[in-house]
Parts: sequence; structure tokens; C-alpha cells
Amino acid sequence: MTQRQLGILTVAILVVIVIGSVVYYAFRGSHALASASQAPVVGKAALGQRAPQFVIPTTQGLFDLDATTKPVFLEIFATWCPHCQRETTTIDKLYDEYKSRVDFVAVSGSDTAMDHLSPASQNDVIQWVDAFHVNYPVAYDPTENVANLYLQGGFPTLVVIGKDKNVSYIDSGEISYDELKTAIDRAL
Amino acid sequence: MAIAVLAARWGLGGLLIVSGALKAGHAAELAAAIAGFRLLPAAVVGPMAVALPYLEIFLGLYLVAGLFTRAAAWVAVVQFVAYAGAIASAVVRHIPANCGCFGPQDAAPADWLHVAFDLGLALVALCIALYAPGALAVDRRFRQAS
Repeated sequence: MTQRQLGILTVAILVVIVIGSVVYYAFRGSHALASASQAPVVGKAALGQRAPQFVIPTTQGLFDLDATTKPVFLEIFATWCPHCQRETTTIDKLYDEYKSRVDFVAVSGSDTAMDHLSPASQNDVIQWVDAFHVNYPVAYDPTENVANLYLQGGFPTLVVIGKDKNVSYIDSGEISYDELKTAIDRAL
Repeated sequence: MAIAVLAARWGLGGLLIVSGALKAGHAAELAAAIAGFRLLPAAVVGPMAVALPYLEIFLGLYLVAGLFTRAAAWVAVVQFVAYAGAIASAVVRHIPANCGCFGPQDAAPADWLHVAFDLGLALVALCIALYAPGALAVDRRFRQAS
């Protein structure tokens, strides 16, 4: 094969890869791929600012941020997120220790289910609660309103809201027990 | 010098092949990582996430083989400078770089160390481009033939 022929073949392969990718995304791309292609949300909740109000039904009754008189520990999670799955152990430990003094609520924030393929659903969140032995109140939010208010670009986003309804701690990632305990103690 | 260029070609080419192979078939994870940098619209991120691993493998194979070496090396320079630029922009804009989930898999953390790493790889690619093709290159056969 001559150099010229190799050059033509190279260009042809590149064109096939590029066009093939566009066609694949347009016609065969999964729900997970389409969802993952969206830039992650950064909500308006900010440290030191008034926490955005929300009301949501949870596995343990209706949660109304304005109505609560205790500090609040809020998690925005996704059932497919391995960090959120591991964080359940940490939050369960905190819940056991602080549930009489702090209101806990975890709210779903993704439109993709645990299998990375199907759309999110109430059933998916309940399966996640069972699979990871979650004891604290959990809410399925089909509108993702709470996530849009609080997400800090990734899952999980963890928020502590003081009795004054101001955000006293907010971060995203797999946060340690010690750091979260310190944040809660500061809000008490 | 020819041996040094050969070593650089095989090193950089091998890195690209491995990097591409690890990402191939994980388009959603790669899309989440790219989307996390907030530079491209979703309509571009999706196809890019599908194509990029195979383009990297393709580029790596050409560098290893020493085929169209100069062109492949310049493409690698542009690629690594673009990566460094994207990571630097994330650091400057304080985009959260942590161990959390930007998408259905982790995103590469955005820090200056990764910027330096990618710029280093761009420098290696630049050296290959300037002193191409190096030893044991398919390009040498074409030169001899002509």
C-alpha cells in the first residue's frame, strides 16, 4: 500500500469514527449517556445565605423546611452514585446519634436510576433504601426542584441548615463522618 | 535522537492506547467527566464521549507504528494542550473537584498537577513532531521507497 493510499484510508477511518459517534448518540445513545452529557447543576444555595425553602414527602412523613425548628441535615443524592451509596453508612451513623436534635432528609436529584440505564422512579429510590439499609428519611423528587436549589455540581451534596434557616455547611463529595459531625455540632 | 524519538513515540502512543481502551465502552462515564468542565453543550459532549476513546487508540497506534508521525504528533500536541486548558479553566472557575460523582462515574479531579501533567505530555508530543519520525518508523520505509 502506498503512502497516499494509507493517507486516504486514515481519513476514511477518522470520518467513520466521527460520523458513527454522532449517529450512535442520536439514534442509539442510552438514557444514561444523554443525562450524563448535561452539565451538572450548581444550585443557588450558598454558605451563610438563607436556605431555599422546600416541602417534600419522605419515607417518614412530610418534610417542610420552614416548619422545622431544629437544624437540618440535607443530602442530595443519586441512586446510581457509588459515593452516595457508601455515604449511607456515614449518614446512618449520624442519624442514630443526632435524630432527636436534628432533622435529616435525603432527596433524590437525578433522572437516572440505579442501573444507569432506566429513568429514575419512586420504586428505584425505595430499592436503593432497601439495598443500602438507609434508616433516615428519604424522598423521591421527580421534579428535581430540591436538587436544582442545592446541588453543588456533584453527588452527594451535603448541607447543614441552622435553626436560623441559614446554610451553615455545604459541600459535595464523599465527606467524612468527622467533618459532618463537626458541621452538625456547629449548627446545634 | 532517533532512538529517543522512538522511545517517546512508544511511551506516548502506549499511554494513548491504554487511556482510550480504558474509556472505550464507558461513554456515559466519560460524558459526565467532560460535562463536568462546563465548556461544551450536551449535543457535543455526547458524541465526543463516544468517539474520543477510539480516536485516542487510533492516534496511539499511529505513534507507536511511526505512521504519519509528524501529523499524529501535532494532533497529540493540540489534544494535550486542550486537555490542560480545560482542566485549568475548571481550577480557575472553582468548579468542584472532589471525590463525588459528576456523573455515573467519577470525574478526573481538576487541579494544577493535572494541568502540568498534560502540558508535559504536550511537550513530549512536540518533541516527536519536531524530530519525527524516529527509529523503526513506517514513515522511514516510505522515505526509502521514494
